[in-house]
Amino acid sequence: MAALIRNLGARAAAIALTTKHVIPAGSTAVLRMASTAPVDAKKAEKPTVRKPDAAARTNLSDFGRYVAECLPKYVQKVQLTAGDELEVLIAPEGVVPVLQFLKDHHQAQFTNLVDIAGLDVPCRKNRFEVVYNLLSLRFNARIRVKTYTDELTPLDSACDVHKAANWYEREIWDMYGVFFANHPDLRRILTDYGFEGHPQRRDFPLSGYVELRYDDEKKRVVCEPLELAQEFRKFDLSAPWEQFPNFRNANPPAEVVPPQAAPVKK
Amino acid sequence: MARIVKASTGLTGLAVSSNPHHTLSALYGKILRAVAKMPQDAAYRKNTEILVKQRADALAKNKDVVALEKAVGCGQVEELIVQAENELILARKMLGWKPWEKLVQPAPAKQWDWPPAQILEPKV
Repeated sequence: MAALIRNLGARAAAIALTTKHVIPAGSTAVLRMASTAPVDAKKAEKPTVRKPDAAARTNLSDFGRYVAECLPKYVQKVQLTAGDELEVLIAPEGVVPVLQFLKDHHQAQFTNLVDIAGLDVPCRKNRFEVVYNLLSLRFNARIRVKTYTDELTPLDSACDVHKAANWYEREIWDMYGVFFANHPDLRRILTDYGFEGHPQRRDFPLSGYVELRYDDEKKRVVCEPLELAQEFRKFDLSAPWEQFPNFRNANPPAEVVPPQAAPVKK
Repeated sequence: MARIVKASTGLTGLAVSSNPHHTLSALYGKILRAVAKMPQDAAYRKNTEILVKQRADALAKNKDVVALEKAVGCGQVEELIVQAENELILARKMLGWKPWEKLVQPAPAKQWDWPPAQILEPKV
């Protein structure tokens, strides 16, 4: 079905192209039918859209370079995402050293652990990413530390560095099944007693594996394997046309901070 | 002994230090001694030495607590003491970690690519 729609879409596009050539230029009908108005670069000053501050960006990339210089053993890559968010991508061995450095060093003082997030990309060799969001109250700055692991390799727990990591790591363990070595109390935290599996993994089915219902004869809640009335159907929801052509090259998702600063022109 | 100038730091759990100059100079000396065990070209050693020496200079020059706080510009003296204690702990741990060595393992190919499957060309 979807393939059919795609073929139709392609044919419609081809027809539109040929008709555009046939109709003489300057016809108002074509202009009025055009879905996207021509974008005027100078006029599009939107006061509600936050623009990244150039000074803040240089400060952030300088600090990223400083971290990479101080810890060359662990830092793989430093990048700025979304304009002005600093990310330090590290090897999984360096979780504790990097977090301790960022917390205790005079120039960093990232003493607050805001959150630890997980990410699952099944096509990668190390499918899980673990993301530490840190806040420095002293310097009013934020930084993100990212590392990776697979299903079997444990990461070092950050509980010795930040006490707040305890529950966050339990959450990651519960949702993704990433094991944290040296964690004082690694139990599930969000799912129910006796739950099996890790629900945020991409291969965990949306409906789960078991269902709970109240059984009137047994007078209690019973847990049974899930039975679906309908066969599993795979929908191909990808559209044949591009959704946002104006934003095709809008924001690079990340800009790499090079290890050496650009030479200052004299 | 320096005169205690304030009744409170205004920060919960942070008591006013009775002799901040002595405490701070002792801590800075300890940090410099710990850092001196690292190799000469370690960036962490260089940066920390520069910074701690700056603060030690400011400490030696300003006998008045308020003047010292103003000269360093990184919070009250009690906070400076906390920072120095943290740096000392870090420096001693760094001796075990040896972060100045070369990269333990390079990132696997495509590990940090985002989005994972990038659409470079429009479909039609």
